[in-house]
Amino acid sequence: MNVVQELLHRLPRDQVIVDDEQKAPFECDGLSAYREKPLAVVLPADIEQVKQALAICRKHNTPVITRGSGTGLSGGSLPLKNGVVLGLTKMNRILEIDPLARTAVVEPGVRNITISQEAAPHNLYYAPDPSSQVACSIGGNVAENSGGVHCLKYGLTVHNVLAIKIITIDGEELVLDYRDDGVDLLALLNGSEGLLGVIVEIKVKLLPKPDASQLIMAAFEKVSDCANAVTNILKSGIIPAGLEMMDKFSIKAAEAFAHVGYPLEAAALLLCEVDGNQYQVEADTETVSRVLKENGAYMLKLSRNDEERIALWQGRKNAFPAVGRLSPDYYCMDGTIPRNQLAHVLDEIERMSKHYELKVANVFHAGDGNLHPLILYDAQIPGELKKTELFGAEILKLCINVGGTITGEHGVGVEKLDSMCQQFSAPEIEIFHKIKRVFDPENLLNPGKAVPTLHRCAELGHMHVHNGQLPFADLERF
Amino acid sequence: MPLTPFQEQIKQALHEKHRLQIIGNQSKVALNHDHQALDMSGYAGITSYDPAELVVTVKAGTKISDLKQELAEHNQMLAFDTPDYGDSTIGGNYACGLSGPSQPFFGALRDFVLGIKMVDGQGQQLTFGGQMIKNVAGYDVARLLVGSKGLFGLVTEISLKVLPLMEEKTYSIEMGQADAIVKMNEMAGTALPISGCAYYQGKLYYRLIGVHPPQSAMPEDNHIWQKMNPFRPEISGKQKLWRVSTDSMHPPIHNTLLVDQIGARRWVVSENKPDVSHVDLWSLQEKTRRPSFDSHTKITDIKRGLKSVFDPYEIFY
Repeated sequence: MNVVQELLHRLPRDQVIVDDEQKAPFECDGLSAYREKPLAVVLPADIEQVKQALAICRKHNTPVITRGSGTGLSGGSLPLKNGVVLGLTKMNRILEIDPLARTAVVEPGVRNITISQEAAPHNLYYAPDPSSQVACSIGGNVAENSGGVHCLKYGLTVHNVLAIKIITIDGEELVLDYRDDGVDLLALLNGSEGLLGVIVEIKVKLLPKPDASQLIMAAFEKVSDCANAVTNILKSGIIPAGLEMMDKFSIKAAEAFAHVGYPLEAAALLLCEVDGNQYQVEADTETVSRVLKENGAYMLKLSRNDEERIALWQGRKNAFPAVGRLSPDYYCMDGTIPRNQLAHVLDEIERMSKHYELKVANVFHAGDGNLHPLILYDAQIPGELKKTELFGAEILKLCINVGGTITGEHGVGVEKLDSMCQQFSAPEIEIFHKIKRVFDPENLLNPGKAVPTLHRCAELGHMHVHNGQLPFADLERF
Repeated sequence: MPLTPFQEQIKQALHEKHRLQIIGNQSKVALNHDHQALDMSGYAGITSYDPAELVVTVKAGTKISDLKQELAEHNQMLAFDTPDYGDSTIGGNYACGLSGPSQPFFGALRDFVLGIKMVDGQGQQLTFGGQMIKNVAGYDVARLLVGSKGLFGLVTEISLKVLPLMEEKTYSIEMGQADAIVKMNEMAGTALPISGCAYYQGKLYYRLIGVHPPQSAMPEDNHIWQKMNPFRPEISGKQKLWRVSTDSMHPPIHNTLLVDQIGARRWVVSENKPDVSHVDLWSLQEKTRRPSFDSHTKITDIKRGLKSVFDPYEIFY
């Protein structure tokens, strides 16, 4: 029996997809420029079935690509032609909510927003809120260490996960808890992009809902004034719940899409939300408004109630699809930079945009320096995708050069493998490979993702050679 | 690039096949005289600090007190209430993963670690993470090594997220321990801006930050938190101090002196180890204690495997 036959034989028939047409929805994640059909898709309903599928794949030396809702943006769950996709969406039960201890235990296929919806009757919520939260799964959030608008104040996924249960490639069931002594394995698994183990259960922290939230919208004539306002809000001692910035192009696109009253003539728009108890919110609103005016905001708008606050956010939250309407395709980048480099980086992106003759819309999490330049292109025009990718790689290089990083929240996946060679030295990448081997010596879990081979880095010419001493000289290179 | 003195010492140890013990000011662990010291106490100072970026990068031997003072001058703080046992260094607290009363509200030390520079057991200089609040490139080695107690490599520099210094007020309510545990959890489920919640000597103490509604509880001196963190009760005879990390709603544990972190941390003084999970012997008197890998067999294997990734020749003791 081959691996597919054995999967069909040992697992319920309706949980193993082998038909070519039915496999189609699984051939890519949110990064649809890369597609591949796997050997089979397995949809386990419980931990025992995960173990069974892993045992069969291990026996046949078949790679396993774990997948949640498929909303990832870096090709992290791109299938392999000779691999099996392990889709965890059927494992979507909330196992426990403990309102007094403020925790929830959930299966990996539970959608991010569902946790907050289920916790709402207890006046609690789950803080990390990726833009795709209505669809993305919590297991995928952990695997990618996802972020969102609230990260600056409430942290990324890693800060809100208390324990996870994983199944290792050799079928061991392990619980990694934040209380464990010694090295922090829980932190290691967060953001490990499916390379170290299959996450089958997650215990998350729930937070009390703030009593009050106030959105302050500010319009600027100069992008640099807006960037300075961001810095000075943080300097004033306030950590906003959300601090988001949009450029002229994005403002126009979002307004045409959502009709929420964004100022179309502004060069930059800032959305700042403060939350907490009502006494603190009043004090913070006053401080933020003063800082914004001092930094050249020519227009301020304060949300008068929750409906208006949510409506004003809608433009920002729909900025990606709004920009998508203006172009057949767009490529969403994800670099992070020190905030004091914001104005410089935006100028450079503008220069590159002219050089590559491709338009860019800038939408970003200004509070934490996480940029999302959207490069507009048309995949039907020969060579334009390649040009777009070169432009994107140049933006990431710029992020590294100003002291930032190549991914703030989307992960490396297959998309940023080359950029990894620029951010990390050969010995660092080799450490990553060794960590992988500790968990998965046969390299069966999501192979080829997240960490480039040294070979690949050498081919790209990004290997750093000191004093003529080539690191890992015994490796083949061509 | 020339080797740093630390790299030279590590390469020398490799050559001579002797073990190194990384030490700071020895406030938590003393030098074992069978090993050579890799002394970080002089490797101190702030490498970079831009208050507007909310990030500070410090050398591992920097004293906690010096770092706190520098941050306070810019109205900022380390929000994880890291305990200072007297001359404690930031490297030592990173190595032990120590956080105080604010942990459930702001996060533990590991939640504030953004990046590290380190030298591994083969003398290689490595950088993981960075100075960004959001960064998901590569495995999170900077957080992985929190709590590794110097067994994996020499962490030379640490970048930490900092937060604005906030005005604090402390209040207390007299009650029994079991009721206090429930009350703490109830309070933590509200929008009250709490940054500490503990039960000590018959009173529930809670600390509020910033602007908050008027409280009917008794106002207290903020210094109570320094008494509880680091917690150093007088111990006599065969009694030992145990630090228990548990579910916040866990019922009272016999011989508990202090309940901290909304109930998630209990300090127990007894001769025998309390019969609950996640118990650590907290013996500063017995400074020779070393960490062990006494967990699930597979997890132990993983930890040993990771040790060999960073320190294949077992240089670091």
